[in-house]
Amino acid sequence: MDVKLINGRKHLEEIKNAYKERMKQFERTILICSGAGCISSNCGAVKDALIEALDKYCPKKKINIKLTGCMGTCSIGPAMIVQPSDVFYCNLEPENMEVIVQTDIIGGGIASEFCIKDKKTEEPIPYIKDIDFFTSQQKVVLKNCGSIDCLSLEEYVVNDGYLGLYKAITEMTPEDVISEISKAGLRGRGGGGFPTGMKWKFARKSDGDEKYVICNADEGDPGAFMDRSLLEGDAHGLIEGMAIAAYAIGARKGYVYVRAEYPLAVERLEHSLKAAKAANLLGKNIFEHGFDFDIEIRIGAGAFVCGEETALIASVEGQRGEPRQKPPYPSDKGLFQKPTIINNVETFGNVASIIMNGSEWFTSMGTKKSPGTKVFALAGDIENTGIIEVPMGITLGEIIFDVGGGIPRGKKFKVAQTGGPSGGCLTSEHLNVPIDYDSLIELGAIMGSGGLICMDEDTCMVDVARFFMEFVQEESCGKCVACRLGTKRMLEILERITKGDGREGDIEKLEKLGNAIKDTALCGLGQTAPNPVLSTIQYFREEYEEHIHDKYCRAGVCSDLFISPCENACPAGVNVPGYIALIAAGRVKDAYNLIRQENPFPSVCGRVCTHPCESRCRRAQLDDPIAIMDLKRYAADEAMKDTSPFMDIISRKKNKSIGVIGAGPSGLTCAYYLGRKGYDVTVYETEEIAGGMLAYAIPEYRLPQDILQKEINTLKQIGIQIKLGVEVGKDITFEDLKETHDSIYIATGTQVSRLIGIEGEDMSGVYHGLDFLKDVNLGKLKELSGKVAVIGGGNTAIDAARTAMRLGADEVHILYRRTEEDMPADCREIEEALEEGVQIHPLMAPVGFKGDGKIEFIECKQMKLCGFDSSGRKVPKDCEQENLKIDVDLVIPAVSQYSDLPFVSADEVEITKWGTFIVDKHTQMTTMEGVFAGGDVVRGSDAVITAIADGKKAASAIDKFLGGSGELNKGKHIEIPMHYDESELVEHDRFEMHAVEPDKRKNNFDEVSLGFHKLNATAEAMRCLRCDRREG
Amino acid sequence: MADMVKQCEHCDLSETEKFSLLKQAVENYEAKENNLIQILHMAQAIFGYLPDNVLKFIAEEMDLPFSKVSGVVSFYSLFSTQPKGKHNIKVCLGTACYVRGGKKIVDKIKELLDIEVGETTEDMNFSLEVMRCIGACGLAPAIAIDDTVYKRVNPNKLRQILAEYE
Repeated sequence: MDVKLINGRKHLEEIKNAYKERMKQFERTILICSGAGCISSNCGAVKDALIEALDKYCPKKKINIKLTGCMGTCSIGPAMIVQPSDVFYCNLEPENMEVIVQTDIIGGGIASEFCIKDKKTEEPIPYIKDIDFFTSQQKVVLKNCGSIDCLSLEEYVVNDGYLGLYKAITEMTPEDVISEISKAGLRGRGGGGFPTGMKWKFARKSDGDEKYVICNADEGDPGAFMDRSLLEGDAHGLIEGMAIAAYAIGARKGYVYVRAEYPLAVERLEHSLKAAKAANLLGKNIFEHGFDFDIEIRIGAGAFVCGEETALIASVEGQRGEPRQKPPYPSDKGLFQKPTIINNVETFGNVASIIMNGSEWFTSMGTKKSPGTKVFALAGDIENTGIIEVPMGITLGEIIFDVGGGIPRGKKFKVAQTGGPSGGCLTSEHLNVPIDYDSLIELGAIMGSGGLICMDEDTCMVDVARFFMEFVQEESCGKCVACRLGTKRMLEILERITKGDGREGDIEKLEKLGNAIKDTALCGLGQTAPNPVLSTIQYFREEYEEHIHDKYCRAGVCSDLFISPCENACPAGVNVPGYIALIAAGRVKDAYNLIRQENPFPSVCGRVCTHPCESRCRRAQLDDPIAIMDLKRYAADEAMKDTSPFMDIISRKKNKSIGVIGAGPSGLTCAYYLGRKGYDVTVYETEEIAGGMLAYAIPEYRLPQDILQKEINTLKQIGIQIKLGVEVGKDITFEDLKETHDSIYIATGTQVSRLIGIEGEDMSGVYHGLDFLKDVNLGKLKELSGKVAVIGGGNTAIDAARTAMRLGADEVHILYRRTEEDMPADCREIEEALEEGVQIHPLMAPVGFKGDGKIEFIECKQMKLCGFDSSGRKVPKDCEQENLKIDVDLVIPAVSQYSDLPFVSADEVEITKWGTFIVDKHTQMTTMEGVFAGGDVVRGSDAVITAIADGKKAASAIDKFLGGSGELNKGKHIEIPMHYDESELVEHDRFEMHAVEPDKRKNNFDEVSLGFHKLNATAEAMRCLRCDRREG
Repeated sequence: MADMVKQCEHCDLSETEKFSLLKQAVENYEAKENNLIQILHMAQAIFGYLPDNVLKFIAEEMDLPFSKVSGVVSFYSLFSTQPKGKHNIKVCLGTACYVRGGKKIVDKIKELLDIEVGETTEDMNFSLEVMRCIGACGLAPAIAIDDTVYKRVNPNKLRQILAEYE
């Protein structure tokens, strides 16, 4: 719709009225998002298909179709809104148009398969008013973006466009305009946050009648795409803002400096400028009030530094984009040495609204010192990537979890990076911080232009620092020594660290260099370049230290430091891709032996491990992670079919002896490796069978006792002695042990159930988790009946619940104070429990066990989640509703355990207040010479694999302590097939582990998981991407 | 002007025709020094890259020292003095794409085409560049081949994508 000349308010009104009239003929309007993201997702084809479908099925209906700017929902595009019902459809493809036309346009219903689904219930949410992503935003700058035709001046005017400019020119003086902007408290949205009104005032005051308005649309921050979306969706908003600014300072010419990487933005801006000029909204004598203003586009050429205002000016002048000394400031001597204001696109985007609605309207949003809203570009590891606009003062946690939808794939939040290469990190301790300019500066971060990159737990902070430094180093213009040389040296240090060549003193050097560069660099690029490095050192110093001292990258990113992410994640360092390759090649016994080199409990771990390896598996980026644990079990089960005796190689006898206290996984592992080194090892175990928690706390249906004992025998056969029924401190003293043996390893675990600490916990009918499971496993408790409640959310709670079910309980209920997603128990366990009929009640916290001598009911508080704790989880708080009463016959609290050390006193050895040993991180030695400790007795309740890893580490340390090399005897080298045929790589879901049906398994203790068949195991193993391969 | 230049990006003009188009571009910008960068963009679109003889021509037409023109060209990363391949692959290594595995994509392409970043394949079919953020962060990791943007690129699917351009 071509717009004719607009010379006054009358014309603006005429356009509005004509439009309203024309719109009356349309029974529906369909908006299709054509932001850059959706264009890449082929929204053009969707539009064509829509038109085709409408022509085919309802050619008589009058439907208005508009292509709008970015709607903000970039990760689920192409997207569409149907008006007037305001229904939102997403993830669209051309083929879907027929269904939508028939169901919605013609049928008047909702094509629910294309609606957003609720994450928990999977129910469709069709209406915009019900969609959190939209309702939690407040659109000021983006008010037109995504709702008007992005190329239509007419629609811009219909939405009160150019009324702001009209008001400014005809009703206000330039000083009035500046005053209004100042009162509104608008601060530069490009990142600096400098008061816009003040900048304009300086420019107004400067002498000269040749002044310039420049819009900085360079948007160089990697990860920022807010300005782009604004230019592509509502270019007139920028034009109007610049015109008002020009009027305020007395300029007649404006430039928009757009980066060359945005051809679509340039195209749409050009189109809008042409339309504005044709309507005389730009040019001479605008609104017939003697105000002249014109705008020209200047394209950048790929230099990040040109986002800095003086470098930008140099670039507009056709020079190399090198920054200049300030003062003089651009408002004094800027473009062509004339007074110039430079503002960001988003800053200009606020101007017209402020003039139209007044400064008070603006200050009613946001915080006192940072009024208004901010546009953020959410990217990285976050569900809802896209553009959002929220009021200042919203907390980081609300942005990430409420608007952003949280972290995908069940990962934990680690860091949010704002301000790109100039910014710092915000960690989970900052989730409750309200976002505004000043609060972020206090934390050592900056607001930046609005790019907010979310990073999950699989991110290496040292690598992130290196990435940003590499970027800045490349983009450094070279003019000043501080930045040119300083960033290069910092990058060199960071690269050495990530390649495994970090040295003592590197961290201190980075800090010194960083601070020096900040103080001496010429421009903002150099002055802020060290920020990501200094910020990551501040919050993640341990990661730097681990890279340098231990050559360990905990996130599994710096591939020079490990074999593969899975092997890196395994606390025992099992060569995962190695054994999987061997299974794929049919060499199952070799696979078993390879596992045993690092972990002597393959049968056990193949059934009960927490498998941190699978959470790092790179195959997950394609389809599903490899079933690493299930394959381990397969290898172990196959190998165990062979009953011939083991032939573990043992080193020459050393004639030294070690005493191990506790025959759990940690103690037995330590004993095994020391035995193979040639030491005489005696293990002292209080109970009548070996295995520790594996024998007592893990139920039979997860880990059958006979399989456990068979595995323990494979360790025994190297000649270690296990003395059962011997309690250290009672049957034999600790002193005796110290005299008999050359060194001691304590691995007694956490034996005592922690109390919840509420009234009635000592009543009859309250059976703490560990005691309950132990008694069942020992055969002391064989049946029960009635209603059972289990308190807790970890594996022990699930184990107790499923065991109670099997013993004959009529109902089993789990009460947990957080939500189901927050339960630390293994997902498969939770799923199987629910299948067996266990009921889970989230957000319930017991406050009292009540009854007359015996438990009758539990009094519970109902909880709700609000705010965030430092681990990034929402904090359960009292709902303050009425307490609930739950009738029960038996309560099993399972809320963690602690250790009890009756044989050694706190005077002799250092222990924490929770009763765990304090040990050296690298050797596991306690503060008592020659006495080592590991497993739960050091860590508190933890996983089997970490206990095993501790035992191995201690064995190596004990060997060194007694004069040996510390190198463990792991047997013969096993050749691993390295050939990999890429043509065999096909997408395939993970081969699932089959389980006995719930009805058949819930009343007995037979093993639930059935194990892989050879065919499935081999095929699953072939899905491995072999991340251990290296070139050359 | 931009449309005219866009049209000739993929067609076969003679050297003389290209220079006359360039001369026209310089005239459209009134040979003013502060329009140098815009003119260089046009020149690169017409010739595919910026060889010395083109820069000398521009310097003469605009009455600027050659060193000035070449100094501007060497500063900005989008200007290339080396010929590009028929298809230009640009891998985005902005933060969002990097976090979502952008580096693996670069490594994989290097492996598949046997070239380093900034180089062109021997058969002149592909050249490889690294970009700093094309603003498609919602669809990371992203690459662009010529004008087509590929989103959520999987390193294991690269072979198929490149095959379309053989």
